[in-house]
Amino acid sequence: MTETPHNENKVIGEISSKFKIEGKLQRERRIWVTTVKESLVALCNFAKGLGFEHLSAISVTDWPDEGVFELTYHLWSYSERILLTIKTRIGRANPVIDSVVPIWKESAQIHERELHELFGVEFEGNQDLAPLFLEDWDGPPPFRKDFNWRDYVRERYYDKTDEREKTYCE
Amino acid sequence: MVKQATKMKRLINAIWIFNWFNSCGFCELVPLVGSRWDMERFGMIITGTPRHADVLFIAGYQTFKSIKRAQIIYEQMPDPKAVIALGACTMSGGMYWDSYNTVKRLTDYIPVNIYIPGCPPRPEAVFEACMKIFHHVGAVPPHGKKFAKSQSK
Repeated sequence: MTETPHNENKVIGEISSKFKIEGKLQRERRIWVTTVKESLVALCNFAKGLGFEHLSAISVTDWPDEGVFELTYHLWSYSERILLTIKTRIGRANPVIDSVVPIWKESAQIHERELHELFGVEFEGNQDLAPLFLEDWDGPPPFRKDFNWRDYVRERYYDKTDEREKTYCE
Repeated sequence: MVKQATKMKRLINAIWIFNWFNSCGFCELVPLVGSRWDMERFGMIITGTPRHADVLFIAGYQTFKSIKRAQIIYEQMPDPKAVIALGACTMSGGMYWDSYNTVKRLTDYIPVNIYIPGCPPRPEAVFEACMKIFHHVGAVPPHGKKFAKSQSK
């Protein structure tokens, strides 16, 4: 197998000349870009045009002390063989962001549905944000760090008067 | 139950199994399928459809989403039928006792006939549970007893 040269600096240069943001070369073939939420869709469209046609994953990190959710989009380019990570921050009180489903279709759809039910993030433009795993769930979004799931479970599912089950509530 | 046993005696000579296994659940039954414990020598076969099954094996933690599918499977099985729950997760939630999305009391959702403890249960324990079904329906006499005359003919 022959090593091909990678064009990380070319990708960083094209993004910074278009969007006035500095990409960071994390290590070989790994680029981090941080953007504001308003220009996320434009940046994603531009990245797809550069060859980042594969959306590997979308993830949310909860920072309750700072009051933000950090969304991370992992993009892979088959032609450049580079992993581009786009990060953006949204307010925790009103977590709304534009959907990337028009860009990556189904591969974005499943991630947005999951993050909607686990963190309560609204993806504007996504037509189907139906629950994925949590059918009939009426509690708070369970992956938020301020949700104490153990207390919730003790309160909700165990009978304190039952001899066998009361040990779970102690 | 006695009446049902009489009915089952006519029907069951072997037990056919439908598996409903979540997460690591199938690991619990895999040794039985292999040659060392070989469940087919006792007439236990895994069917592809609940409509041919006598026994439902249910294992692994059940989520509130998956238990609905298990109920549909249970209703598709013809009478008489039995449900055997394998492992700690089906008994109490197991290591997922504090999960917000798992079933803690399986009997609230499905009538379970036998629970087999263990994580995973030993293959011998699974056989013992199946023997109890055979004994119950009279296909095999209980340990130390002989077949009744009418059955030995």
